[in-house]
Amino acid sequence: MKTSASNPVIENVRRSLGRQPGQATPARPPILPARQPGDQEAELDLLLKEINAVAGVAQRMDPTRLEAALADLVQSQNVRRACLWQTPFIQELQLTALLQRLGVEIIPAQAEKHVLATCDLGVTEVDFALPQTGTLALLSAPEKPRTVSLVPRVHLAVLRPQALGADLHQVFAEASRQPYLIFITGPSRTSDIELTLTIGVHGPQGLYVWAFA
Amino acid sequence: MSETPSYIEFAEYSEHVPTNIPAAVQQATARFLGNRQLRIGEMPQWEELRQAASDIRLHTLLNLDSYLEKLEQQVTQAGGTVHWAEDAEAARQIVLGLARQHNVKTAVKVKSMATEEINLNHAFEQAGIEAIETDLGEFIIQLAGMGPSHIIVPAVHMKKEEIAQLFQEKLGVDAPPDPIKLTAIARTALREKFLNAEMGISGANFLVAETGTLVIVTNEGNGRMCTTLPDLHVAVVGIDKVVPDWESLTVLLKLLARSATGQKITTYTSFMTGPRRQEGESGPKEFHLVMLDNGRSKILQDPVGRDVLKCIRCGCCLNVCPVYKNVGGYAYGWFISGPIGAIFSPQVLGTEAARELPFASSLCGACVDVCPVKIPITQILLHLRRRVVEGDSIAPASAAPMVRSGAKLGALAFGVPWLYKLGTQLLPVLMAPLAKAGWIKALPAPANRWTRVRPFPAFAGGFRQWWHRRKK
Amino acid sequence: MQKVQLFITCLTEQFYPGVLKKMVGILEKLDVEPVFPENQTCCGQPFFNSGFQSEARKMASAWLKTFGRSDLPVVSPSGSCVDMVHHHYPELFSAGSAEHTLAVDLAGRTFELTDFLVNQLKVVDVGASYPHKVTYHASCHQLRGLGLKSEPKQLLRAVRGLELVDLPEEDVCCGFGGVFSVVYPEVSRSMMENKVKNIQRSGAEAVVACDAGCLMNIGGGLNKAGSPIKALHIIDILAEKGGDR
Repeated sequence: MKTSASNPVIENVRRSLGRQPGQATPARPPILPARQPGDQEAELDLLLKEINAVAGVAQRMDPTRLEAALADLVQSQNVRRACLWQTPFIQELQLTALLQRLGVEIIPAQAEKHVLATCDLGVTEVDFALPQTGTLALLSAPEKPRTVSLVPRVHLAVLRPQALGADLHQVFAEASRQPYLIFITGPSRTSDIELTLTIGVHGPQGLYVWAFA
Repeated sequence: MSETPSYIEFAEYSEHVPTNIPAAVQQATARFLGNRQLRIGEMPQWEELRQAASDIRLHTLLNLDSYLEKLEQQVTQAGGTVHWAEDAEAARQIVLGLARQHNVKTAVKVKSMATEEINLNHAFEQAGIEAIETDLGEFIIQLAGMGPSHIIVPAVHMKKEEIAQLFQEKLGVDAPPDPIKLTAIARTALREKFLNAEMGISGANFLVAETGTLVIVTNEGNGRMCTTLPDLHVAVVGIDKVVPDWESLTVLLKLLARSATGQKITTYTSFMTGPRRQEGESGPKEFHLVMLDNGRSKILQDPVGRDVLKCIRCGCCLNVCPVYKNVGGYAYGWFISGPIGAIFSPQVLGTEAARELPFASSLCGACVDVCPVKIPITQILLHLRRRVVEGDSIAPASAAPMVRSGAKLGALAFGVPWLYKLGTQLLPVLMAPLAKAGWIKALPAPANRWTRVRPFPAFAGGFRQWWHRRKK
Repeated sequence: MQKVQLFITCLTEQFYPGVLKKMVGILEKLDVEPVFPENQTCCGQPFFNSGFQSEARKMASAWLKTFGRSDLPVVSPSGSCVDMVHHHYPELFSAGSAEHTLAVDLAGRTFELTDFLVNQLKVVDVGASYPHKVTYHASCHQLRGLGLKSEPKQLLRAVRGLELVDLPEEDVCCGFGGVFSVVYPEVSRSMMENKVKNIQRSGAEAVVACDAGCLMNIGGGLNKAGSPIKALHIIDILAEKGGDR
């Protein structure tokens, strides 16, 4: 690694600014204060509303309706293959078994990317959710690969209320030391051709968010 | 078009703007501004956010050396490698070198203005390595061999029929002139590239010094594809893109999408720190960050001009600029256009090459009102105009000496009271034959530059005489 | 009786002397006595905006000397010229110098006319009458340079019989921009034509502005388009029927 002593770019910057190596840096200017969250139900309502406003399909869900909802999703989205994160909550919901019962072939989430690309559906949990913008925030780990929410045509995200965060400050405080964080707000989109909005470009074409109590 | 220009001919281009450009650009900008207005209506703290963003960006620039050191330390600790490129050629060599080292046949690119600035695609082409743009608009103009007409929607000037024909020719597929079907064609074509490319190339919207984190925003998901699927990820980023910490992002991310397109936030925001940490994780095995100087460190010397480096590339100044909206992006001669282009290009390319740009503005100030980081664009334009005609500590004058002499004469005519008063009395008499009903339809060169567009008012004068008569 | 120094501005003097005469009339009607410093010429803005800051500095020095002789406030019918004095004059002289001090002092007491009437004299109704449909073009320096957003409209709304109609894109630049209009005439043309179209769309019989530069450009454009719509300075309207002595 080049030390800055042998780094002409940093040297040039220093010279232009008239600063010395190791010179102290004043504190960064203040940022705006954090937002106070409303009550959980209101926050959840807001989250679902915002996700739906950006062409996501978000609704409250409970385990009793889960099987029917999955059947509906599998049928309407023509899901033949799926890959899932294996988080404790997803295991608790028995999503893998339910999908298999619906005739969906399960591909391991750690499968090679070409194989993963044959999946129609990727299922993840949501690590944090930002109600004001309808944003889902997902971390990454060997058992929670980033590809599952990216490569398949449809992304289903299951949400528990504890994921609700008040704002960016809160999410960043928890996630800034993580090696990876992705914010997802709706399915992929573009207006590059004659400003005509098209949903579904490179990322998923469909985003389903099911919020459990 | 993103070749580094040796001279930017704004004047020439502005005299022959293709008819499709203003209409297309105006449609896009109106949409973005309309949505932005809605967003601002929802944000009572909008002006405080702008001020905070401006302060944070300036603070970072004034202490950039220490933030760059911190960034390097953090990226390295996270398992990435940082390279320092003093200029475009150095950056190209580093990226090409990495591509060759890894036997790259195909690289997939996220939209990155820094890579356009260094003309990276051309270098890859020459080296026989495929470098494919994956942002739909960039993909289209790459196939067409054109440059971008707008920073955010680069292919906005092209009609769907043109794009359909382009896809038919270049991709060999049946392409109906329907945006949804055309997007699906691009999705299929690029999916194969994403999965097979050995290398992903990106820029970054922000670099967080605190943790060595790269932040990339997209709507399409190509940013994620390029930085997740290939084993090698190389990012080329201007040294001015550094922010101190994640808390800074709480301000900047609230302003970026709202200013650019009027969305609350883009569909995807990726925060990536180093390559993947463990086997079995997805993400690149290797991460390289190429920090691009290319004149930015020199700009830091200029207390007025350096505010250009606060830019977060939202494109809002383009959206409000009446000049830009009447000429489009190509007129500015390089990858960066509109008001920001008019103050960036002369500082990076020099006022010799870009001397027409600081004058490509009526100084209306609409851009100053909207810039999320409060860059004093009109102030910098005036500063650069002075550099062009008079020269300053950064560069000598590049205007012809005749222009200078002309100004001196003009200053006499306008400034010396008896000369000025004499002119005021003589001109109405001298010009009377040319005036009809208060207007002069034609004047000789160079005044015909006015009259070719609309008539010139007749000289009247007479106030001073009237004033004296009253006193009696 | 309050006294003010008249800063008549080069363009208004050359092309709209009637506006200056009417301005004198309006001020006198409001018990303000104008004085006219004879040595004034041009504030130097065209030179400053073209990058000739050295020439502009000389002209600024002359202006400061002319108007600095008295400690009376200065009133002008042109937003861009007043903006030059407010924002750029202090920049032209080193902080701490006598000229800088004078520039700051004069910047604090130089007023564009609508600002003077509404914010200094606290007058909105000058007794004018103009029973026509009128639309307002917000000149860039007036609006963004001086922050005078509502003052001209307040004055127009108080004119008897005047119907103020909205101008689409009222705050978009008309394309004058001083030297800009001759450096890039085709771009200036596009901007001017857009402004003219909007004025025609507004249904107004007259368009009003507070800057001679805008009026030259817009007035010329309307003339070229064969339009009967008049391009007037706000002072022309404020002097109508009863606003003038």
